Amino acid sequence: MIDKGLAVFLQEGVGIHIGTRNGSLEPNGARAVAATVEDDGSHLVVYVTNLAAPRVLPDLEANGQAAVSFGRPVDERACQVKGVFRGVRAASDEERAIVQAQWDGYRASLEQIGIPRIATATWPDWPAVAIRLEVTAVFNQTPGPNAGEPLR
Amino acid sequence: MSVTLESLATCFQGILPAQLFTCSFDGIPNAAYLSHVEYVDPTHVALSFQFFNKSRRNISENPSALVQVTDPDTGQGWQLRLRYVRSETSGPLFDRMALRIEAIASYCGLKGIFKLRAADVYEVLAIEKALEEAGFEGPAALNPVFTTRALQELSVRVNCADSLEKLLDSILRGLDESFGFSHSAILAPTEEEGVLVTIATRGYPESGVGAEVRFGEGIAGVVAEARKPIRVSGLIRGMLYAYAMHRDAEQAAAGVRRRRIPMPGLPNPESQLGVPLIVRGELIGVLYLESEAPYRFHEEDKASIELLGSYLAIALQNMQLQERSTDAAAEVPTPAPVRRPGVKPARNGAAARARRDVVYYAGDECILLDGEYLIRSLPAKILWRLLMARESTGRNEFTNRELRLDKSLNLPEWKDNLESRLILLRRRLDEKCPDIRLVPRARGRFALELGCDVALSLRP
Repeated sequence: MIDKGLAVFLQEGVGIHIGTRNGSLEPNGARAVAATVEDDGSHLVVYVTNLAAPRVLPDLEANGQAAVSFGRPVDERACQVKGVFRGVRAASDEERAIVQAQWDGYRASLEQIGIPRIATATWPDWPAVAIRLEVTAVFNQTPGPNAGEPLR
Repeated sequence: MSVTLESLATCFQGILPAQLFTCSFDGIPNAAYLSHVEYVDPTHVALSFQFFNKSRRNISENPSALVQVTDPDTGQGWQLRLRYVRSETSGPLFDRMALRIEAIASYCGLKGIFKLRAADVYEVLAIEKALEEAGFEGPAALNPVFTTRALQELSVRVNCADSLEKLLDSILRGLDESFGFSHSAILAPTEEEGVLVTIATRGYPESGVGAEVRFGEGIAGVVAEARKPIRVSGLIRGMLYAYAMHRDAEQAAAGVRRRRIPMPGLPNPESQLGVPLIVRGELIGVLYLESEAPYRFHEEDKASIELLGSYLAIALQNMQLQERSTDAAAEVPTPAPVRRPGVKPARNGAAARARRDVVYYAGDECILLDGEYLIRSLPAKILWRLLMARESTGRNEFTNRELRLDKSLNLPEWKDNLESRLILLRRRLDEKCPDIRLVPRARGRFALELGCDVALSLRP
């Protein structure tokens, strides 16, 4: 579902948000700090800090529906992955390096558009939970008339 | 609601991308980046609707939305729980949002590519901290710019200026030294409808005096058209958004920027401010400021900026009126002998004077100097008239009054902006041809001094 080229983009350290909804169809969401794509591209693991996770986990556990947006600040390239919740666990110490590398990459790209690191210095990136999603669709979200088109 | 929407105004500058969460009627959530959140009133915000995308379709099915924004000063993230109320396709809110989009698009040379379909108004039901975006504790590290002291200092400078030229320079110098705006320009309307010309700049390697901007083009042009101040922060992000929308921007940009004198500007401005200078409904000019700082113009500055614009507009108009009334008393000087080559020593003691070819294209009202564009329109007509008078009568001193009375220049009876055109001409000559100078002698009187031989040609 997620090809190798897209996986590189999703894991390079971009802005990530996960969206869910409750039983009343009210949306919820949180910033994520990293994401990894499993080898066959069929599953995505999204890392959300323990502070933010309570805003989305109840929804995921209740109805499983998720949307994850990825955006690169320097050129506004963006896409959205839709998925279904397949599980959550505490992120392991081995995964911490991956999370920190992506988080640093994202903050570096913010710096390129004039957001100094000090502005995001108080944003936590750890501890985090790893939310596993089965990918159901991927859409282009780069601003413009083609935003919303499915990505193959 | 313990946190007020007004207190989040800085979050809506668009420095950091906002995130919009929606949900379809059949329960599929959607997460998307958002170009612009606009403060409407203490309980409402507006989101720009530019494309029929999934978020928009979801809202039409299910009015619940969640927006996450970040305060660029403190780093604190906020979540706004929203309910869609209505879409506005005209009126002040729509105009304000469209103007901002238009200004960025125009700056990028993409005018017309962007179109605001509607300002979607949402009621804010709740505001909560986004804990994963924890901000600094304590007051924001704001550096107030439009302070009373800075305004007072500028006022003193303005009051000391005794000519329009000095006034223009003292305004830009004051904005630099008292406010910290080191890159600025003042543009004035030309005799051609819908065109501004740059008459003074500060902080750029090339002055750009004489650069023309059409109404609606770039920040200054959009300000002139809308007659409202425009503050654009997070400009780089806005521009990136623009370019992302239209990758083949270079071609379009080349078309828009085909000016004879390029408008000066920072290569990567982060914030820009355009202020219309209006007196009793008349557009006197546009003040344009830009900064490399990513966030310079605060919401609190709005009233000060408008006040500053009014004050400067009155000061400029008063000076123009004063200079004009003084001109009325000035008499036309009697012809004086033309200085012959060799009177003024050439540089390095060389005996030969340079020769400059001045060609006036009457059809285009344009002057080329040694084959290069110098100036056009009224300043070109004035220079041609002065050079011709000097050649035929030997005169080298002139008055503003005689220019006003010269029917061939076709100046309007009232509000002719002659002084600003003379400043423009003088500065353009200083920059491109220091051998031909307009030197003020007294109020309303100046000399045409030549440090070179001049060959004049008239072309159709």
